[in-house]
Amino acid sequence: MDMPTSAPRAHDPETRLTPAERKLIAQLDETRTRAEVLAELHQYLQVAVEVELATIPIYLYTYYSIQRDKESGEGIDPAQAYANKAGGVIMSVAVEEMLHMSLSANVMHAMGFEPQLYGKAPKSYPAKLPFHNPKGPKGPKGQKGPKRGDKIPLARLGFEQLWRFLEIEYPEQKDATPQSKNWDTIGQLYSYVRCLIHTKFLSDADFQQGAQAKAIQPYNYSPNNVDTVYPTGKFDPWKPAPPSPPPHWADGYPGASGAAVYPSSPDSHAGETELLTIASRNDALLAIDTICDQGEGNPVPGIGPLPTDDPSKHELSHYYKFLTLQAQFDSYTGSGEALPPEPPPPPQQQPAITQDMLDDAGLVVPFPDNPTAKSYPKHLFAIANFCSACFQYMLILTETVYRVPPENQKLFFNEGLHRSMIWVLDKYIRTMREIPVGDKQGHYMGPVFENISLGKRKDSFDELAKYGIKAAEAAQRLAETTDDPKLAHAYNDIAYYAALATGKPADLAPGMQPLVDVRPYWS
Amino acid sequence: MSDFGKTASNTPTVLHQKVSKKTYKPGVPVPRPYPYADVPPFPEDIGPQPPGMPLHACMGLNSCKASDRFGTTGNPVTGETNKCAGQGYCSTAVDHTCHVQNDCRNQGGCGLYGTAEEMDNPGNNDCKSLGSCATPINAERFSTNGPNQGKSVWARARKVFETTVWPELRAELVAAQAEKGRKGASDRPAADQPLPETLGTPPSDFAETGPTYLWISEDNSERGNMTACGGSGMSGAGGCS
Repeated sequence: MDMPTSAPRAHDPETRLTPAERKLIAQLDETRTRAEVLAELHQYLQVAVEVELATIPIYLYTYYSIQRDKESGEGIDPAQAYANKAGGVIMSVAVEEMLHMSLSANVMHAMGFEPQLYGKAPKSYPAKLPFHNPKGPKGPKGQKGPKRGDKIPLARLGFEQLWRFLEIEYPEQKDATPQSKNWDTIGQLYSYVRCLIHTKFLSDADFQQGAQAKAIQPYNYSPNNVDTVYPTGKFDPWKPAPPSPPPHWADGYPGASGAAVYPSSPDSHAGETELLTIASRNDALLAIDTICDQGEGNPVPGIGPLPTDDPSKHELSHYYKFLTLQAQFDSYTGSGEALPPEPPPPPQQQPAITQDMLDDAGLVVPFPDNPTAKSYPKHLFAIANFCSACFQYMLILTETVYRVPPENQKLFFNEGLHRSMIWVLDKYIRTMREIPVGDKQGHYMGPVFENISLGKRKDSFDELAKYGIKAAEAAQRLAETTDDPKLAHAYNDIAYYAALATGKPADLAPGMQPLVDVRPYWS
Repeated sequence: MSDFGKTASNTPTVLHQKVSKKTYKPGVPVPRPYPYADVPPFPEDIGPQPPGMPLHACMGLNSCKASDRFGTTGNPVTGETNKCAGQGYCSTAVDHTCHVQNDCRNQGGCGLYGTAEEMDNPGNNDCKSLGSCATPINAERFSTNGPNQGKSVWARARKVFETTVWPELRAELVAAQAEKGRKGASDRPAADQPLPETLGTPPSDFAETGPTYLWISEDNSERGNMTACGGSGMSGAGGCS
């Protein structure tokens, strides 16, 4: 099953309260005070932010294990096509998780709370999401159904890791109980937050405590990019994009644009836009609708969640995206994995692939499970640490967006977040995975996303630079001592990207500049 | 800012090196015979530019005679320069590989990363770091967001140049050209520089497509000339540097 691609519609309908939610709201109105409700909202919005944040390293780790374009164009075989699709789909979900984190953070900001991201990623892996009591489907290896305390690992692409993804995105069933601590599904956690917002104690004024203009603005978000798209299969890479006429050498395959699938749809949101800023109670509820529907599917009253995130059926929910990817593994048929009644699971997807097909073609990098910097050999420690440092600095950059004068936000976002994410961290991780760990299992370096300390936020750029210098020095030493020219290139590239992030502008090559120093915004 | 110059060994090498070019497999089969045998080869280096003229993001987006990748020295096949605005061979802005790496106004490419609005306005950005993606813009590249989704970035850039960028630029250039008291200033167009209202057509081999990757890569031999990036390998012939 490929992703739906027909024309988008305006936006999603607002989700109505369920009987269970109406009951809880009445109870909260009777038993709580305004101060208690505000305190709980503060607490559970921060939990929501941390839940969304926790998913990002998990999805990115698996994403970076995939070699998406080892073969290109007409050289793409079924295994390569699957690997590219898996990469595009997982990235599309990771991008929406960043959206969800921003939406929850925007609700916090609107209420006058400061969302906390720095140092708030999972402390270790495998990770338990904050207050999560997983109700995911019974596992493919005979795990006996939902098990309290199940943890989600950092692991490369495979059937079992996709099951772990399903545990995260397991869809809330009809009229499920809103839950705060020990939530079964993310939808039920947000359902609890919805109920708090609906209590008699809150009004629109409570969502006007932080300047709307300083929230993360809609213009920073785009649903698709070259990393979320993937080809349907073989394509003619030399064919110009339309409306250019096909060249005389063109064969029967579509060009890249004709083969492109866009797993995200621009209509996939409640309210006026995807990345809403919040100035009313209704805005906050719409933001939560977008989060829940994209993750678990649009709920149909009395039935349950759709496989898609809205009635237009242009985009699958996160749960169904992952389930559809899993359904292309040949082990899907006959798996003991138990699935929820709604939405009905897809049939076996064709052409079926196996882990051996992916591994034999070198399409999934042999990453270790749950690495930390210390788990790597000592000579790679500094290289691993800079990855975590850059990740933490990105979280500080995100927190800083709320402090930047609105007229400068676009430039700050581009020069801070986009550069750090695409031009530093993405390239750095792609280079890390070329470095063999040197263990018996033949592992290559996977990224690490540890809560490494960058000191106080105002000093964090300088601390990032220290990690950058250590990584660059270590990589240069390794480049000079290795006899393998390919590996020497990889080490030199590591040094280059580490230096690029924090070097003096005058020291950098023309056209290059370091990341933004957040010091002025925290002093 | 950190002082890499004092701390890291061999720092100038690190900071000024080009990252190693990845050896991505070419898209197969490579079209044969090479269709651009009579076309001047893609110049890796950007030639000298006429004074006072803005740099630009790609083929056919130049503002004047001799403003293109070959520059005032002309192309190596005929020795001629392009004749006027809109006829140039490829970009003069510093080649860059990614979103927000543009140096200046109107120097961003487009199509890979960016919002719907940005992707609808390739080569039409306000300033440094506000551009959207790599230059030059290869013919195979398509927009991934917005109303131009799935369509040629170069064709959209040319349309935007014709309807929005050139009318604005031309008015500014005409005014600068007429400005008195700054004779010989290098930051304004020469007095005899033609600034026609109607743009010329891009080089005939690429007039309907923009620069193809086959030409940019010199018949698939110089794949590092490709500047587009991205994980899907769909930004043009699988190239990614």
